[in-house]
Amino acid sequence: MMKKLVILGAVTFIVALFSGPFGYSVFAEDYDHGGDIIYTQPVKAVIFSHAFHVEELEFDCDDCHEDLFEPEALLVQKGGNFDMECLREGNYCGQCHDGSAAFSTETQCARCHIGVKGYNARLGNMEVDEH
Amino acid sequence: MKQKINFDRLRKDKMKKVSAMERREFLKLGFVITGVFAGGTVLSMVSNVKKVFASPEEFSKQYPYKPHYGMVIRQGRCIDCERCLEACTTTNHVPPYGFRTTILEKVVPDAVGRKREFIPVLCNQCNDAPCVRACPTRASYKDKKNGIVMIAYEKCIGCKACMLACPYNARYFNEDRHSADKCDFCYESRLSMGEELTACADICPAGVRNFGDISDPDSDVYQMIHQIEQTVWVMRAEAGTKPNVFYMK
Repeated sequence: MMKKLVILGAVTFIVALFSGPFGYSVFAEDYDHGGDIIYTQPVKAVIFSHAFHVEELEFDCDDCHEDLFEPEALLVQKGGNFDMECLREGNYCGQCHDGSAAFSTETQCARCHIGVKGYNARLGNMEVDEH
Repeated sequence: MKQKINFDRLRKDKMKKVSAMERREFLKLGFVITGVFAGGTVLSMVSNVKKVFASPEEFSKQYPYKPHYGMVIRQGRCIDCERCLEACTTTNHVPPYGFRTTILEKVVPDAVGRKREFIPVLCNQCNDAPCVRACPTRASYKDKKNGIVMIAYEKCIGCKACMLACPYNARYFNEDRHSADKCDFCYESRLSMGEELTACADICPAGVRNFGDISDPDSDVYQMIHQIEQTVWVMRAEAGTKPNVFYMK
């Protein structure tokens, strides 16, 4: 009887471990899509959620990865033109986020800009690594 | 029947023979004085609550600073890049345990659309500053020329009453200077050297911090806060501090 209880307790604990806050992951390896991408250039930090765009909005990979973005995380920020001016002209996120297909990049700044605090909350305890 | 209180007799008789009538008269006198005082207080409260300035000219007369430095913070644009914090700590030699400005974060998970906002907070250089009032040595004082609340570091005794008094939590204790310290609109480091802007206003990439002379009708800050279509607010208006830092979307 005691042994069964212990096993039950252990199983419950492990299930809880992977369903609550412990279950959240930002890493691409954990998903079929790219996971959360957190940009740090030119400002720290901007979040892009694959989960939202792929799972909720149900986009296909090609919708973005054919023309807009390379399928390599954080590559776009190395180009040096990943700024608001560029988005305003319709590049990158600005292709859809122009006010008609989705909210304009000129509005709701902190919806994507999670800032230094958001960065630290998600990745603060690890090295800045480009994976 | 009114009977006058005979004070001479009272003095001589040492109050043994105060008649009931005299006691009554004394009480009546007391009530009259209290009533007059209370009436006066009510009258002054009703007629003079929160004096509102009808015009910029009246405001300038009450607070005749030239230039009257102020800041307008466009809060909706803040993205917490924290470049202002870096610029401030470098320019003003702020120690790691201290702060002259902070960015607050507010997260509302149930909000529609944007779920977080960032709010920069700094010394409001209040026109009616509680820290100036609280300081026992006058180390904290309001500059008569430009309205900045300054700190005379050599006078500070480290009692920290100013830190308690500030409703904006804008002050910290600097161990190296042995004094309270806070934002002085970069007066010591920049404005007195001929620079026009504070370090934070200079470096902000999103146009959040706008610094200038709020008494000059040609300045950006004046024009921003005098538009009737825009909502402009201040932090903790109920504290009655009359701050010089304004917030807009």
